[in-house]
This record gives sequence, C-alpha cells and structure tokens, in this order.
Amino acid sequence: MIAQLLLTVLLCVVLLYAWYSYRLSPIVGMLTVAAGLAGLYFVWLPSHATSLAAWSGIGRGVDLILYTWVAISLILLLNLHLKLRAQMEVITRLARAVALNGARSPAQDDRAAP
Amino acid sequence: MTIDRGKVWIVVPAYNEGSIIRNVISDVRSEGYRIVVIDDGSADDTGKHAFAAGAAVVRHPINLGQGAGLQTGIEYALSRGADYVVTFDADGQHRAREIARILRTMVTAKTDFVLGSRFLGATTNMPLRRRLLLRAATAFTRFTTGMKITDAHNGLRAMTQRGAKTIHLRQNRMAHASEILHQIANSKLPYVEAPVTIDYTDYSLAKGQKISNSVGILIDLFARRLHR
Repeated sequence: MIAQLLLTVLLCVVLLYAWYSYRLSPIVGMLTVAAGLAGLYFVWLPSHATSLAAWSGIGRGVDLILYTWVAISLILLLNLHLKLRAQMEVITRLARAVALNGARSPAQDDRAAP
Repeated sequence: MTIDRGKVWIVVPAYNEGSIIRNVISDVRSEGYRIVVIDDGSADDTGKHAFAAGAAVVRHPINLGQGAGLQTGIEYALSRGADYVVTFDADGQHRAREIARILRTMVTAKTDFVLGSRFLGATTNMPLRRRLLLRAATAFTRFTTGMKITDAHNGLRAMTQRGAKTIHLRQNRMAHASEILHQIANSKLPYVEAPVTIDYTDYSLAKGQKISNSVGILIDLFARRLHR
C-alpha cells in the first residue's frame, strides 16, 4: 500500500508535468498523459498488467511494464530534443539581434536608408 | 512599370566563402542592386571581403545555418526599406543578370513570389545524383504543400515587400528551403516559377547538399511540427 501511494504521488507529478509540457508540444503532453494514466492503472490494478500482456501477445506483465518504460524513455528523449530546438530558437533570435545591431553598410546604403 | 534597382536588396547568406564572395558581390553590384551578405560566423575573411566589395555585412556571432542567415537578411533588407528582396547563393552558382528577368516576371505576373527553377531553365555540369536528389525533394514538397513547382531547393527567389513580411524562417539549417515554400503556400499570396540557370562547379558541388543531409532535413521538418 505504501509503495502504491508513493508511486501514485510520483505519477501525479508526471501528469502535472504533462500539463506543463502540453504548451510547448501537445503531442509530448498527450503521450506523457497516456503513460502516466497507464502507470496509475497498473499501480492500482497490477493483476491487469499480466492479463493485458497476455492479451497483447507480450506474455508476462513484467515485460509489458518494461516495454512501457522504454516507451516513456523515448518520449522523454523526444521531449529533450524539442526543448533543445526551442532553446536554439531563442539563441538564434539573440544572435540575430546582436548581428543586426552590429551591421556594417557601405556609405551609399546609409544615404538610402529611410 | 519599371523597378528601381536601388530598392531591390539581394540577400546572400555566406559561410566560409572568402575565396569566392568578392566575385559574387561584384557581379551583383554591377547590375545596380543593393546587397547584404550575412556572414554566418565564418572562420575565414568572408565578411571582410564582402564589405570591401561593397556589400552591407551582417555577421552572426556564431554559425547558425543558411536558413537563419536568410531570415536575418530578409529582416535587414526590410529594415532598410526594400521594395523587393532576392535571395541569392554565395557559392557562385547563380547568374546575377538573371535577377532582372526574375523581377520582370514578378511585375508582369503581378505576383508576390518568383521561385527560380533550374528544371524550367538550364544547368551546367549537374551530376545525375544531384538531379535525382532534387527531383525527389521536389516530389516530396509538391506532396506536402500542394504547390505545383518543379524545383524545391533553388536558392534564387524574389519576393515583394509584402511577401517578405510573411516569411519567418525557424529552420536554421537546410530544411529552410522546404519551410519557405510551406510559408509561401500558407500566405495565400501568388507565386510563379521562372527559369534560371545553375552553374555547377567543383566548388559549389563540394559545398552543396549531400544525400545524407536529406535525412536530417526530414527529421527537422518532422520535429518542427511537434512543437510550437
């Protein structure tokens, strides 16, 4: 019971994070919600993991959990990749502002500027 | 209607093009256009040579990529009151005298974008592998944008001020060529293609796209759709 409560708290944190992630990337947010809800389901109904695994052809419930964990890891990797891209966009805007601020133009272009 | 060439800005992103940039700028300047070179954090004297040849120079403090360079150049040109913006490669594969023809097409066709097409025009020394790669990229772009174009990755394009204001490139690297077409399609502004000539040299081929880059471009385009 203690482990179930602890895992429930952790998975609720995951769901909160999913809500936060949704603003940056809806698809990552939705995948994280799906993973978090699946986690809660298996925490409170562990016997269903085995029957679901048998039904889906995986066999053991523990293997299903393992595959789910791999899927969650891949979602996290994707999320990291997207965050890096978002940071690169910020860096690009900064670098562009610096570049435009330091632009050098020939004299005739200066005279033509509005 | 005639175009005041002083209100036409040629945008040339350049990265380590010190050995050739002077010639490119001289050709463009001799046609009477204003030109801005975006020195994309080059390790050589690209910016120095470009400025000496008469170009305005905007230097990225770090290397960002050709797409970022184009967007910087477009913003610079608009800030200088450009009526028309023309993108032009720095590796010498475009012909400066063809800019006038593209601009004429823009005026006569009353369009906001003119996209250069080597497949409507001509090429010299184009390797078969490059031709196949470009054909595949064009088929992909036609499928994803619905645009009826014949050349998806031509660096020679012209746009009106109104058209340029709709372009906001976020793909820093080579995926910008597809992104710009998506943005043109989304802008609902009119566009046409115009024949241009591409002169392939050992230099431009060495700097150009590789087949392996196309995988990275696809990843960039896919990843861009996953976040805001």
